[in-house]
Amino acid sequence: MLRVLWNEMKKIWTWKMLGLLFIVNLILFFLVIEFEIEYFPNGRPELDSYRIGMEMIEKYGIEMDEEDIADFKQVYEAQVTEADRYLQARSEFVEVGWDTYEKYRAYDPFEHPEERKEELDFQLMHEEQVDLFWELQERERLIEFHDWKEVGLESIIADSPEPQKTRYVELLENRMFQLYPEVAIRNFDRFIEGVAATILISVLLVVSPIYLQDRNRRLLDLQYTTEKGRALYRTKVLAGTLSSFWVVTGLLAVYFVIYAQNKTSPYFDVPIHMFIGKEYWYDPTFFQYIVLCTIGIYVLSFVFVFLAMGFSTIMPNYVALIGIQIPLVIWMIGDGFNRLLTGMIDLWTAKWMVPTVYIVFVIVSVGVMVYLSKREKKRDISM
Amino acid sequence: MIVLKDVSKRYGDFTALHDINLEFTNGLYGLLAPNGAGKTTMIKMLATLMRPSGGEILYDGKDIFQMEETYRTLLGYLPQQFGFYKNYSPKQYLLYLAALKGIGKKEALVKIEELLEKVALPDVMNKKMKKFSGGMIQRVGIAQALLNDPKVLILDEPTAGLDPKERARFRHLLSELGRDRLVLVSTHIVSDIESIANEIVMIKNRQILYKDSVEKICQTLEGHVYETSIKYEELDAFRNRAILLSEKQEQGNTIVRFIHKGKPDVAWLPVTPQLEDVFLYEYRDDVDGEV
Amino acid sequence: MMRIIFLECKKVFMSPLFIGLFIVFSMFNMYLIVDNSYFKEELKIANGLAETYGLEITNESLHQLEEDIKLEVGKMTEMTGQEVESVFSFFDQLSMEDYEKYSEEEQSFFHQLQLKEAYLNVAKQIDSDYEGLSMKALAEAEIEKYQLSGNAAEILLTEAEKLSIRFDKLKQTGEHKQWFFLGQPYEMHSFLFRTIVKAVVFEALILIVLATALLTTYEFENRTHLLVYATKRGRIVMKDKLFASLLVTTVIVAMLLGVTLAAYFTVFDYAYLWKSSISSALNWEYNFPYITWWDMPFWKFLSLVIVLLYSCILLFTAITYAIAVAVKNSYFTFFIFAVFFAICFMLPGFMPLSSSLLFITTFNLSVVVMNPHLLFTGNGGLVMFKYHEVLTVTVWTVIALVLYWLVSNHFKKVDIH
Repeated sequence: MLRVLWNEMKKIWTWKMLGLLFIVNLILFFLVIEFEIEYFPNGRPELDSYRIGMEMIEKYGIEMDEEDIADFKQVYEAQVTEADRYLQARSEFVEVGWDTYEKYRAYDPFEHPEERKEELDFQLMHEEQVDLFWELQERERLIEFHDWKEVGLESIIADSPEPQKTRYVELLENRMFQLYPEVAIRNFDRFIEGVAATILISVLLVVSPIYLQDRNRRLLDLQYTTEKGRALYRTKVLAGTLSSFWVVTGLLAVYFVIYAQNKTSPYFDVPIHMFIGKEYWYDPTFFQYIVLCTIGIYVLSFVFVFLAMGFSTIMPNYVALIGIQIPLVIWMIGDGFNRLLTGMIDLWTAKWMVPTVYIVFVIVSVGVMVYLSKREKKRDISM
Repeated sequence: MIVLKDVSKRYGDFTALHDINLEFTNGLYGLLAPNGAGKTTMIKMLATLMRPSGGEILYDGKDIFQMEETYRTLLGYLPQQFGFYKNYSPKQYLLYLAALKGIGKKEALVKIEELLEKVALPDVMNKKMKKFSGGMIQRVGIAQALLNDPKVLILDEPTAGLDPKERARFRHLLSELGRDRLVLVSTHIVSDIESIANEIVMIKNRQILYKDSVEKICQTLEGHVYETSIKYEELDAFRNRAILLSEKQEQGNTIVRFIHKGKPDVAWLPVTPQLEDVFLYEYRDDVDGEV
Repeated sequence: MMRIIFLECKKVFMSPLFIGLFIVFSMFNMYLIVDNSYFKEELKIANGLAETYGLEITNESLHQLEEDIKLEVGKMTEMTGQEVESVFSFFDQLSMEDYEKYSEEEQSFFHQLQLKEAYLNVAKQIDSDYEGLSMKALAEAEIEKYQLSGNAAEILLTEAEKLSIRFDKLKQTGEHKQWFFLGQPYEMHSFLFRTIVKAVVFEALILIVLATALLTTYEFENRTHLLVYATKRGRIVMKDKLFASLLVTTVIVAMLLGVTLAAYFTVFDYAYLWKSSISSALNWEYNFPYITWWDMPFWKFLSLVIVLLYSCILLFTAITYAIAVAVKNSYFTFFIFAVFFAICFMLPGFMPLSSSLLFITTFNLSVVVMNPHLLFTGNGGLVMFKYHEVLTVTVWTVIALVLYWLVSNHFKKVDIH
């Protein structure tokens, strides 16, 4: 009966709860999410990495063939020439012997530090923040990755254990190298972990009291002797699940809208194996990866919601209800999301591990609720 | 219409009730017993909150636990302590329960108004229940038990918190209700039901002691109940001779009401046994004063 | 009254939940300690130095050390058949294959000597390093980094001046010339205070907020409120609950700290370094050494930090209590406290960068409690004020007392349904 469901929803969504949910989200937003939005890209060279990445996508699409790489190198050379000119135009640089970019680059502050050169370097890069020189640095990094891509991969293959080795061989054979700047995806990883933590806490906040509340208020005697009777338990499962769904969806919507401010959409079609840094078992595009993470958040949230409802059924009071969930939530936020969400297809996690963990979680949490729901039908209600 | 057949209830090692055989039809039944005798256990079983360890409970021949909602549709229950949402008004509270009872909203609103009239709470329909006195809350409880016009109405200590006027009104309501349905009232306020109950059920030693009309139960003590006046100092000694039912101070003397099963003293005045006398007599082991 | 308090405390200590959480937290702390203990053997060098050459680094002791090292290096020359100048240069040109030719004992000997050399080098550079330190420059760098201006910048500069005076005094007395675990590789100060102690603080807070909320709202949630508050002791029981909560706090913090610190000091031997000053030049982890406002040996710092954190946590108990009495619901009490804690902590981050509010808002308990490694320290960024800790605790004690008074009065009169 829909009215009963609606009544139970009303009991979950009180003004107090809405207010608390709002404030908690506000705080969590500023604590773990905001940084990834406001400081993206975070200083230099991230800014330049990001820009060059955009340039690469625009010019070369989501893959770079030999022609593209040659073009990239040409752009680099042109910039070097420009840098030469820049240095020559400024007497203070010429004075220290930096009249070409090459000479400037040759300076090693660890081997032979020189105070004046330190000063100038600092001035150029940090005070004046001349774009040209930052970009050159980043292009060099990318070119190096390119030049060493085969050798690098081969040496990794030599040192790798199975089954990673097979995957690396696969990558090499299909020429799936890491060439693109990884700023966007790393930022997303950190962002989504913050969002996952926020959503998890939000959803548990709303759903946890669901059974304990009426038990505390001695309403079971009346509720279970009505026509609806103990079937109310299952209605509450539905109410809790629906409420969670709205919380997760609503918050995801809000935070993704905020994420759009980072303007990373040009990167969406790039397959994630192209990004420098991590290797993966599969080859989704950045966008598909985002979708994967989103699904992960839904599944993990629901697992925790079911567990929370289970605890709500058996814990004797609110303090115990909160207390028992704390180690689980802390683990999830500190470690779990890293392994199960952004590390879902990480090459260095066993391929079977993450899906297995997910399946076990789902089975356990659903199983718990099925068991408790059956138990509720039969058990004596003395309180 | 309701039959308890060989019903027993055990909690681990402890047996609360055993070999309970009872039949109820329409009418008003009083369930009398001291606390801990198994009253609430029996009531909870009839309300499907607990299952018997042995035996079965049948409504018109069918097991009430298998009937599930078909039985609960006919059930109205007022527990001894019940919960409510303190920020709800009686109207909101009753609407919530009406939904659980399968009563449509329009119909419910009509009923709620009627019922709140009946329990004399029409003015506070929209006030938050946290402001209510204990008696008012109790009356809301009675109202909710009647929402679905139950054929089986079970009330556990329903007059707790009601003042004498309210109790009188309640007695009137109960006897009306008892005409066309089964009403089971569990209480230890004998005066609440002795005048209106068709039959009284008394539980002792985990089994049924009596199930009979008030007169018949009182008859068990016929000729053994007396009253007399003695001096206060004689009271203690008197306790050794008879089972004391009550003492009243009047004009310097103590008027005692008591039970004696042997030959009476001349000074003793025989009186008609009341239900309360039977109650005190039967459960005297649990009370002070032994003979 | 004592019996009531005792009975209240029992509610917490006998609860399987609290026992369980305590065990989980303790085990986690153990894990933290053990996981980072791979270098604990190396720490013995520092202890050894203090033992052999005395805690203070004087010119003589330094000279002695240098001589002793030269002797050992000489031994190396014998052992390796090469001309060895320093262990550092030796390793520089050593290949992995050659290294493995030496026995374990020999490798260990090299290693130990290398560490001693490292300590010697750092110690020798103390004076020159400290010459290069300017509190004013530090302040200016901070102003630059965080883009401070106006009042905020002024305040920072003023404090920097005060710190400068302290710093000069420190240099004069040579307080900083004491042996300690090498800051850069080991970061023992951060590890103990920022990692371990902070973890304990968090865990304790969780336990305490839950316990206080439980005790304070117990009667309401168990529906015994009508009974209990009508007894002879009546509403005064609320005061008993406050004392019980404070007592519970004390015990929990003591136990958690006790277990954790016992483990810590069992694993990491501080033997001769207990008296080492926190401001030791060796206690230099990042850009600056830790410079405390007062001359404080390690044991004193540790004790003061414990006392201070205790006070803060007790105040948190009182605040939780006030929230619980007002709200009468343990679930909301927990989250409201969490919100309060977070807001206090985050507030300075929202202040305009030119305003003195930036600093004023750091005088709260959350900030103090989240930075155990920066307590009493001058170069602690936003919390650098000399009397930051004392002021914060004093002010918040007053606030807590006021809250208690308000909430008590309210409770005395409020209707209990």
